[in-house]
Parts: sequence; structure tokens; C-alpha cells
Amino acid sequence: MGPETLAKHLDLVLEGLEIDHPAGTRVANLTRLSGGANNETWRFTWHETPLILRRRPFSAESIESLEGNILGLSLVDEAAIIQLATQASVPVPRIYKVFEASHPLGESFIMAFIPGESIPQQWLNTAVFSTARKGLAYECGEALAHIHTVACSQLPQSIKPNTLAHRFDGIQRRLHVFGDISPAMQFGLNWLTDHAPKEVPCVLLHGDFRTGNLLVNEQGLAGILDWELAHQGPPAEDLGYLCAHVWRFGNIEKPVGGFGEYADLLAGYRSIAGWAPDLASLQYWEIFAALNWGLVCQTMGALWHSGSGDIERAAIARRRSEAELDLIYLIDAWETV
Amino acid sequence: MTELDESITAADVTSRQLLQAVKGFLAETVTPALNDRDQFNARVAANVIGIVQREQALGPTLSALDSAAFKKWVPDGSPGRDVVTQISQALAKREIQPDAAFLDYLKQRQLLLSAINNPRYANRVLAAEKWRHLTTESDSMADQR
Repeated sequence: MGPETLAKHLDLVLEGLEIDHPAGTRVANLTRLSGGANNETWRFTWHETPLILRRRPFSAESIESLEGNILGLSLVDEAAIIQLATQASVPVPRIYKVFEASHPLGESFIMAFIPGESIPQQWLNTAVFSTARKGLAYECGEALAHIHTVACSQLPQSIKPNTLAHRFDGIQRRLHVFGDISPAMQFGLNWLTDHAPKEVPCVLLHGDFRTGNLLVNEQGLAGILDWELAHQGPPAEDLGYLCAHVWRFGNIEKPVGGFGEYADLLAGYRSIAGWAPDLASLQYWEIFAALNWGLVCQTMGALWHSGSGDIERAAIARRRSEAELDLIYLIDAWETV
Repeated sequence: MTELDESITAADVTSRQLLQAVKGFLAETVTPALNDRDQFNARVAANVIGIVQREQALGPTLSALDSAAFKKWVPDGSPGRDVVTQISQALAKREIQPDAAFLDYLKQRQLLLSAINNPRYANRVLAAEKWRHLTTESDSMADQR
């Protein structure tokens, strides 16, 4: 759907929302934000209010046949999770309206625009964000602890409890379906299975809590974006994911997202939760996150082959080799300690 | 050397040079004329051409490495089928015991693959240093970037 058609549909739905505007207001400054290989994100202005549209550009049916697709929640469920996160004191944007797939806009929701910077290269290395970076690992720990307090009984039906063994089975199936093309990922899965931690009670996980999905202003953490991979799992998983090499954006010496230290992340978590995972548990999930990123890359390749997506998606499929390298590197380091 | 030899200038264009030409066209001519989203995709396209160029150079080394690993760790495999797939499947069935030699194969393989797909990846630099005893032409290729 092109910007002009999108704007016309938005004009119609925004008329009915409780956002201050004079008669005859039209959507202005509609711009697609770059990045985001699954869902489109559009920024626009309605009278004086800046807003964001999250929209799935393809029908759910087009990916249903893809074995083990990991494109995540429907946008309807993602919006529900964001609303639960709001109640748990997590910095997230207000949701104004949610649309089912049958709506002319497609599956989508409109939410508030939170000022801040999300592009990692903009805030990770520039002096203007130096104060923000100092406290950010601690703030991320706090935010994750808040997310993990959401009662699982309130979650949408699609977010069910899961066991690690069941997840390993799913990953193995996916590796087979995608053609068994990666000895490194198979080796990684075998290792993770052999070193699996004892099962612990599941909590709500953001599932994609990382640099790139954090909105940062000059003071620190302003918002947490992209909840489409939310699921249930052990708390250490979210913390390890944030530390995965792929999400350090080149600042490999800063283990927490390319900006912070493990101790600060764990201290922030402990300040809210009253406890924190040990470092080894967190690092196990770093290895798991590397495998997971490899699977995402494989899925992107499969989606591209199915005719869904542009050249970005084809290129992401090749980033699998980064995940594979991380897997071997991290397991090698673990084994030689 | 004859007078004729001295007058010969390069006239053929290799596939590698063609790719370089397309990459330059995308970066210098196409990208500046596009909107934000298409500029992003044009930059991705230029990077993709870089991947193909590097695969042309390093692909044969990677294939040789995989073939040798296949012979060593999947001795009863079918040479007619994809060897990487057969190595993965043997791992899945736990038919390969991943000893130090096998781990070295995986390390070499990933150094080559990442040299093709993203030689600037930060962890690749660390890995290449740590696994220096295993490095191959992949590193000289990466250094040329």
C-alpha cells in the first residue's frame, strides 16, 4: 500500500479518535521509517500530534505455511502486551487504536510518538548521549525486571508457557525444514541442549530487548519498542539477549548492548526484582541468542524465497554467518574457561 | 616485443569487474536520486554486490574445506548430495563427536563465511585474532577492504 492510500485510510480513522484536531485535518508528514524487516513503521502528524503507525505489510496467510515462522505476535497481541507493560511501569508509548487484518489499513495499530533516538549509530557513539549511556544498563535492568512482573494470566492466548525442551524440538525441526544448511547452528543447538539449565518458572519476556529497540534521549531510557517477539521464558533469557554480540553494533567490548557493563545491568534488575540471575546463566542465554539470530536470518531467507520482502530481507539471510561465528566463538570461550 | 604487442590495451571485462561497475553505479549515481527508503535499499544492494565479489574469490576455498571435512567426518556419506547438509544431519543424529579437530573446522569455516558476508563484523576481528593459527586467505581478503 502506497503512502497516498495509507494517508486516506488514516484520515478516516483518526477523525474518530480522541486526539485534538480542527475540522478538515489531514494526515501530514507521513514517512516510513527505515529498518524493520517484518513490520512497517510509519511516522506522521495529526494536527499537532506526532503519531506512529505499526503495520504488517503482508497477510498472515502468506506466512502461515512457513514452518516455525518466528515473525512473532500479531500486531493486535503486540498492542495488548504494550498496554500491559504500561501498567507495569515500563516506558512504552500509549496505544490509541488497534486494527484487525480485515481493516482497510491491514493489521496495525496507532500509538503515540515518544521523542528520542532509536538508531543505534546515532546514540551509541555520540557525545550528546554520553550521560544517557552511563546509566542505561542499570535502567535496562530495571525495565526488564518491571516487564517480568506482568502476570502471565493476563497475557493474550497466543503467549503460552513453554519448556526449553519443547523449544529445542522446535528449533531442530526448523533447522531440518530450512535444509540443514548450517553445521555451526546444529553444533550450537546440540551444545545448548547438552548444557540446558534447570527449568524455571516462565515470566513475560520482551523477547527482542536490545539496542535498536531502545528509545534513548539525553537523560537515558525513554521507551522500549518492537514487542512482536514477546513470549514466556526464564528471566535470564531477556538479559542475555541484550548482551548478544550481534546487538553490540561493533562496540564488542561493552557487553550490555554495546554501551554498558554486566554488573550495572544485573544491579538494576536486582533493585526492582530483589534478585538477579548469575552471570553464567546470562551468558548461556547469550549463546542461545546467537542461535536465535541465526534462525531469524534463515527465516528471512525463506520468506524472501516465498516472494515476500525486498532486497533487505535477502541480505539479512546472509547475516546468518555472524550468528554462526558468535556461536562457535562463545562456546569455545565457555569450554576453555 | 613487437610493435603490435605494445599497442594492446585491456579490452576484456571480467565478471568481478562488472560487479564493481554495478556497485559503483548504485553508490554514485542511483542512490543520491532516490527517496530515503529506496536509498537504504540501494545501499543494501551495493553491499550485496560486495558479498558476491568476495564469494567469487573465497568460495572455492570454502568448498574445498567442506569437502575435506565431509570425507573425514561423514565417511559413509553420498558425495553426490550437498556435503554441508550431510555434515549438519550427521551432527543432528549425534554421529559426529565434536572434538577439537572438528571445532577447528567450524572455526575455519566461519572465518571464511564471515569474510564473504561481512568482513567488518566486530566479532570476526576478535575471532580472527584468537584463532590466528587457523587463519587462511580469508583474512588477507578481509584486510584488503
